[in-house]
Amino acid sequence: MEKRRRKEFFVGVRLTEEQRKLLNRIQENAGLSKTEILLRGLELLSEYYSLGLDKPTLSMELKRLEEEALRHAEALKRIRRREEALKEIVRELRDIDRIVDKYGGDPSALIQILLDIQAKYHWISKPALIWVSERLGIPLSRIYQIATFYKAFSLTPQGRHRVRVCLGTACHVRGGPQIMEAAERLLGIRDGEVTPDGRFTLERVNCLGCCALGPVVVVDNDYYGGVKPGDLEKILSKYE
Amino acid sequence: MKVRSPEDLEKLRREILARKKPDRPVIAVCVSTGCSALGARRVVEALREELKKHGLEDKVEIKETGCMGFCELGPRLIIYPQEIPYFKVKPEDASEIVEKTILKGEPVEKLFYTDPATGEKIRKLEEIPFYKYQVRLLLENNAKIDPKNIEDYIALGGYKALAKALTQMTPEQVLEEVKKANLRGRGGGGFPAGVKWETTKNAPGEPKYVIVNCDEGDPGAFMDRTLMEGNPHSVLEGLIIGAYAIGAKEGFIYVREEYPTAVENIATAIRQAEEYGFLGENIMGSGFSFRVKIHRGAGAFVSGESSALMSAIEGKVGEPRPKYIHTAVRGIWNKPSCLNNVETWANVPLIILKGADWFKSIGTAGSSGTKIFSLVGKVNNTGLVEVPMGITLRDLIYKIGGGIRGGKRFKAVQTGGPSGGFIPEKYLDLPVDFDELTKVGSMMGSGGMIVMDEDTCIVDVTRYYIDFLSSESCGKCVPCREGLKQALNILNRICNGQGKAEDLETLEDLCEVLRAASLCALGTTAANPIATSLKYFRDEYEAHIFEQRCPAKVCKALTAYYINPEKCQACMICLRNCPVKAISGEKDIVHVIDQEKCIRCGVCFQVCPFNSVEKYSPPTPPPARYGIKVKRVKKGEKGGA
Repeated sequence: MEKRRRKEFFVGVRLTEEQRKLLNRIQENAGLSKTEILLRGLELLSEYYSLGLDKPTLSMELKRLEEEALRHAEALKRIRRREEALKEIVRELRDIDRIVDKYGGDPSALIQILLDIQAKYHWISKPALIWVSERLGIPLSRIYQIATFYKAFSLTPQGRHRVRVCLGTACHVRGGPQIMEAAERLLGIRDGEVTPDGRFTLERVNCLGCCALGPVVVVDNDYYGGVKPGDLEKILSKYE
Repeated sequence: MKVRSPEDLEKLRREILARKKPDRPVIAVCVSTGCSALGARRVVEALREELKKHGLEDKVEIKETGCMGFCELGPRLIIYPQEIPYFKVKPEDASEIVEKTILKGEPVEKLFYTDPATGEKIRKLEEIPFYKYQVRLLLENNAKIDPKNIEDYIALGGYKALAKALTQMTPEQVLEEVKKANLRGRGGGGFPAGVKWETTKNAPGEPKYVIVNCDEGDPGAFMDRTLMEGNPHSVLEGLIIGAYAIGAKEGFIYVREEYPTAVENIATAIRQAEEYGFLGENIMGSGFSFRVKIHRGAGAFVSGESSALMSAIEGKVGEPRPKYIHTAVRGIWNKPSCLNNVETWANVPLIILKGADWFKSIGTAGSSGTKIFSLVGKVNNTGLVEVPMGITLRDLIYKIGGGIRGGKRFKAVQTGGPSGGFIPEKYLDLPVDFDELTKVGSMMGSGGMIVMDEDTCIVDVTRYYIDFLSSESCGKCVPCREGLKQALNILNRICNGQGKAEDLETLEDLCEVLRAASLCALGTTAANPIATSLKYFRDEYEAHIFEQRCPAKVCKALTAYYINPEKCQACMICLRNCPVKAISGEKDIVHVIDQEKCIRCGVCFQVCPFNSVEKYSPPTPPPARYGIKVKRVKKGEKGGA
């Protein structure tokens, strides 16, 4: 009886079943006496208070740290993306280097160089223009003038598929304009634009040189002759 | 091997011919843009497969050639040595061609050309009306040559003219011969090539340049491309001969980037010519050296103008410059530069080989030789044709072209592309040469010939040209930049039914200013389509302005669509195809177009199998009532489905 009572009390405090089990475990594992446990407990408490861990800011502090860590993780991801993008640009610039070197860095080959870049990427990016200017020693303004003067160059990214509707004279008299209208209606974009899903670019061209087949529509490199406005939907559905 | 003398060339030619057994079957398949678009590549694959099946792949040669001309009926092929021409060949026909024609020597009847007038099958190319009236000096070899193989060209006597010029003639003699032949610039202007060559030759300054202009930007024209794709060595040979006569060490070939096959084939041709010693140092032991570079154009119509083209070669914006001093004297980098069109250069080897007198025997007194035209539009036989100068328009359109499609009425023929003019019916017997076409207000141009029928609205086509020219104008000079813009505004208004009485006079004024004050030929000739259409088709303009009527029923604002209740069979086809759901109707009930909703796109007109959709101009169709019962037409009476 005496023994059991002592177990239930600890420094005069009545222990719950839970607390008692805990005390027993500490006693068995650490081999400490109850007094030692009491003293060690006091030491820990005083350290706890001296660190200010009792104050309500603690949880806020932890939250702040957590948020910061998240922000850093985000930033890291962004940096990685930027790094990728930069690597992409470096790759592009290296390609441009190769192209420029192919022409021996000759400034009079500017149009040929831009054509090669356009053929590779289907458009010419701002870094590309700047780099060509740097490499050839031609002012950027003049390169911009050329890139906007010629129809072969595009300064915006193109759709995955290029739809060209021929409006040369022969196709015009055979109903080309109706094909163009139908294409604009179907894709919901105008001449020179890209569909929002990036699937198609629509272009009108002034003769593809197969006038005998007019009206002609060319998707990528597939030619369709004798096209009627109603045929377009079926033709375009082949391209994803 | 390097060809170091004319004897070497002859030896090489004999070797090539000895290697090619004359009785060995050759299937020549046209793989130019037109035929490729119609599936020529698949035909080639099917033929290869079929030959393999019969173990004939080493015994029969398949030759992929350039354009053979009758593009409408592609894919085309010719089987040698019998010269059997086949039309509209499909991949499925490959087995029959191999089994019958190659193995047994029998023709495949169904692939022959059928004369639309008599229904007769024609076995010989030269008996087909389309070819019968042509003189194919430049295009003839297209069907016999693999453009990627220089040996094919040499086997047919290629580079013989170069050998002759370099070893038997002085540069002066070559120049004299070209001058005597009166070879005129095929690019459109018709300026005598010999005179131009002489100017460059005598101009002070070194080095001198020679240039091939293959910036064929005219919509509706593709003869330069055909030569470059199908027979690039003929152009190259002409250029080398010209360089020799002029004394140029370097040449440029300007090809538009839109012609990738032409770029590829001419690049291959240059490489092979270098290998064989037709280009480079000390050509054929003559001491003459010459190199060629390709410059790809980046898509600008105005860059085809000589001074603009030269700016482009220098790597600048291809804008024309004032030509107080001609480019023949001050061209690329201010050095004497002689620029000629592809077709002009391709004529040179023929003149050197056969002589100026022979050349002058073809064509008219003022214009010698032949001219290639792309005969397109509303004509039955479309494709590339080469005819002697002086042939009448009537012969071209009716004999070679087989007349107007669908039995419609001829209205006009447009020559010279956007720089040319409309020629009406009364001038159909006009002989086609440089001077005659200019007399009636048009021009030869590079050779586009677009035939228009009663369904073509002249005002609309004029607007089309001015729209094209206005967007292609480089904007450097005011008359062209502003004049074309104003002309376009007026034409747009007329097509929209908002024309004013004074518009026609204003257009005429604009033409005068354009002609007098534009910097380059783009502006000065831009007046041609307006002036000729006003001169010959004024009644159409007046119908648009005063009666709100488009006689050809093309202009949208002046045309309405109407379903004829007598003819409609209530098949629902137009209803399903209408993009704006403006047509209402049901089974057995005549369909009706809601004029308010209709956007006049013309889809119903095209899809109706009973021809029941009719056009009305002025746009006031009879009132339509919903609920009329269909009047059934008996089978066989279908309104021409």
